[in-house]
Amino acid sequence: MRRGLKNKITCLVLLLLVLVMGADAGGEKQDERTALQERVQTLREKVTSLKREQDFLLFQKEMYAADSKYLVLDIKNMRGKLKYKYRVLRDFRFIPEMNFNNNALQPGMLILTQKMEGKNNRYVLTFESSLIVQWPHSATLQGNVNIPTLLLGEKDIRSVFSAVEEGARAYILR
Amino acid sequence: MLNCGVRDNDMHKMKIAMVSFSMYSLLAIVLFTAFSADTASPVTLEVLREQVRSLQQEAAQLEEENRGLQQMLEELNDDDLYLVVDTENDQLTMRQGNKVLHTAVCGTGSHAFVEEETGRNWFFETPLGSLTVLGKERNPVWIRPDWSYVEENMPVPPLNDPDRIVRKVLGKYALLLGSGYKIHGTTFTNLLGTHFTHGCISLGDDDLSLVYKSVKVGTKVYIY
Repeated sequence: MRRGLKNKITCLVLLLLVLVMGADAGGEKQDERTALQERVQTLREKVTSLKREQDFLLFQKEMYAADSKYLVLDIKNMRGKLKYKYRVLRDFRFIPEMNFNNNALQPGMLILTQKMEGKNNRYVLTFESSLIVQWPHSATLQGNVNIPTLLLGEKDIRSVFSAVEEGARAYILR
Repeated sequence: MLNCGVRDNDMHKMKIAMVSFSMYSLLAIVLFTAFSADTASPVTLEVLREQVRSLQQEAAQLEEENRGLQQMLEELNDDDLYLVVDTENDQLTMRQGNKVLHTAVCGTGSHAFVEEETGRNWFFETPLGSLTVLGKERNPVWIRPDWSYVEENMPVPPLNDPDRIVRKVLGKYALLLGSGYKIHGTTFTNLLGTHFTHGCISLGDDDLSLVYKSVKVGTKVYIY
C-alpha cells in the first residue's frame, strides 16, 4: 500500500511538473508571438507609408521634367499648391464640402478630366470620378453628389482654373 | 482465505489500472505539452520572424530609395527668386522657394483686337509661359509701335520718326522679357488690377521699384 501511495504521489508530482513547465513554455512563446505580430503590423504600416512617400517623390520627379502645371492637394491640412516644375505658383486654402467623405479619396495622382465654366462665375474642375474642385458651393452638378468636393475661394479657383488644362494632374496627400 | 485472495487480486488489478491510467494521462499531457509548446509554436514563430526580416529589408530598401529620390529632387531645386504673374487676377507675386516675398496688383493684356485697313492686326494679350528677365532698364523710353497709331486712328509715321519716342510713360524702370514685352510702370495707375495693357505687365511705382531692385537678369518669370 505504501509503495502504491508513493507511486501515486510520484505520478502526481511528475504530472504537475510537466503541466507547469508546459504552461510556462507556452506562455513565453505566446508573448513572443504577440510581440512579433505587433512588429509585423508596425512594419507593414511603415512600408505602406514609405511606398506612399516614394509614389509622391516619383510624381514630383516626373513633374519636374514635364512642361505642365499641376496641383498638390493636402487634404489633412486643407491647403493646396499650384505648381510648375519645382516652383510654387500659388498657395491656396480649401474647405471640404459638407458631404465630403475623407475615406473615399485615396492618396495618389488624379487627372483633370473636365473643366467647366458656367454662368455666374461658376467654375468646376473634375478629376476623374474621384474629386471635384469648384466654386461656389452651390455649383454641385446633379449626378456628382457622391464625389468628394473641395471648395476654393473665388480668386483661387479663377487662378487655378486658368492655369490648368484638361489632362493636368493633381496629387492628393493625406 | 479464498475471499482474501480474490480481494488481493482485485486490488492488484485496480492498482495496475490506476498506474496505467496515470501513465497514459502523463503521456497524453507530455505529448500535448510538447506539441503545443515545442512543435506548433516554433513553426508559427519562425514564419513571423521571417515576415519581420522580410519587412525590415523592404523598409530599409524603400528608405534608401526615397533618400536618393529626395536628394535628386533637392539638387534639381534652387533657392532663386522668381516672379509669378497671375493674369486672371492681375496679380504679380515675387517668391523665393516656398516663401512669398511680395505681392502686387498689376495690369495685364486687355485681350482687345485692333485691325488696320490693310488687314494688319494685333491682339493685346500677355504672353503666357515661362519667361526670363533678359534686361533691366532705368528711365525706359517708349518707342510707339504701329498699333498705337492705328488704335487712335492716326497715320503711322516712319520707323525713325522722332514722334515715336515717348518719355516718362513707362515709369522709372522696366524689365525686358523679350519680343517687346516688359514689366514696367504706368501712368494709368487707376487701372491696375484690370486687363488694360497691350500685353506688357504694368505695376505701380513702389511695387515696380521693389521688383526692379530685387530681380536680376536671368530671373524666371512664370506667367499664367
